[in-house]
Amino acid sequence: MTESELFQRYRETGDLALRNLIAEKYLFIAAILAKKFVGRGVEYDDLYQVASLALIKGIDRFDERKGLKFSTFITPTITGEIKNYFRDRSRLVHLPRKVSELRASVRKTADALTEKLGKKPTAGEIAEALGVSEEDVLLSAEAGGIVSLDKPSEDSDMNYYDVIPADNDVFEKIETRDAVLSAVKELSETERQLVKFRFSEELSQVETARRMGVSQMYVSRMERKILEKLRERLKKSMA
Amino acid sequence: MNTLFKLTFPLKSELMTTVRLAAGGVCALKGLDIDTAEDCKVCITESLLLLKHRGYSSANVLFSEGGALSVRIEGEGEGEEEGTPEDEISLALLSALLGEVGTTERNGKLFSISFEIGTGK
Repeated sequence: MTESELFQRYRETGDLALRNLIAEKYLFIAAILAKKFVGRGVEYDDLYQVASLALIKGIDRFDERKGLKFSTFITPTITGEIKNYFRDRSRLVHLPRKVSELRASVRKTADALTEKLGKKPTAGEIAEALGVSEEDVLLSAEAGGIVSLDKPSEDSDMNYYDVIPADNDVFEKIETRDAVLSAVKELSETERQLVKFRFSEELSQVETARRMGVSQMYVSRMERKILEKLRERLKKSMA
Repeated sequence: MNTLFKLTFPLKSELMTTVRLAAGGVCALKGLDIDTAEDCKVCITESLLLLKHRGYSSANVLFSEGGALSVRIEGEGEGEEEGTPEDEISLALLSALLGEVGTTERNGKLFSISFEIGTGK
């Protein structure tokens, strides 16, 4: 069945099995586009979820009689949804503390300046407001990419896990661990379960959602709330 | 239109981050907001991938200023390959982010991509 016939049949019958078939066929576009936006502080899983939902909505809106190819139609639709999501984005990034703090500050300051100036601020304006260099602001924007520790490093056969130096600041680690454990104890049982899956067993959001019997989006939202809670508690306990 | 900056480099994946950083620097110089700068970086990366898929060995990225920031990305070398099926998505993504994208061909093959972004200071 050609692309056009597939959409025509779905439009005429509304058969959900056909819609699912179409979704599976074009899910790779959601994956490709989600990858293009990784590095702006939102996890790939979240972006993929947003892109997939946009794909499904797009299937319902696509009219093959207009002569457009589906991939040409759906790309701007998915891109638009991803950009909307960034406006309400999560700032969940797994980065070294200083970089992640700067990145968070950059976003926070950007939002505040947008409100104050009535326009989106430039990197220079953000740098001035934060008292850091413009280059630091630009570098922090680049720092969101996720790199596998198993990826071979550029100048040897060893992977990044082998070559990244161990953190020897044992006392700071112990202090941080104690503070985190104490903050985690105050979470509900469900929240602790999520923390265990995501941060102890290091499962993906998708796998965590499967084990908890909820949606990945639910895990994403809950994780964001938990991290906000923990951040607040840690600030208080370490102040 | 004044050329602000020109980059010439081999089309290798490991150099993309360097190009993105340089592009970010030019966007800051031109006073673009950070979301527009991010979009600009995505568009430059996509354009470079389109050229890489066509077999160009190196590329030039030219930043010029008029009212907006103008970017032109062109291939160097033979460009003998046909591209990949994913290129269609790259082109649609460029259109989605930029609205208007100019392309030129040389010997029947995509040779350059150009666009304008931001309104400048």
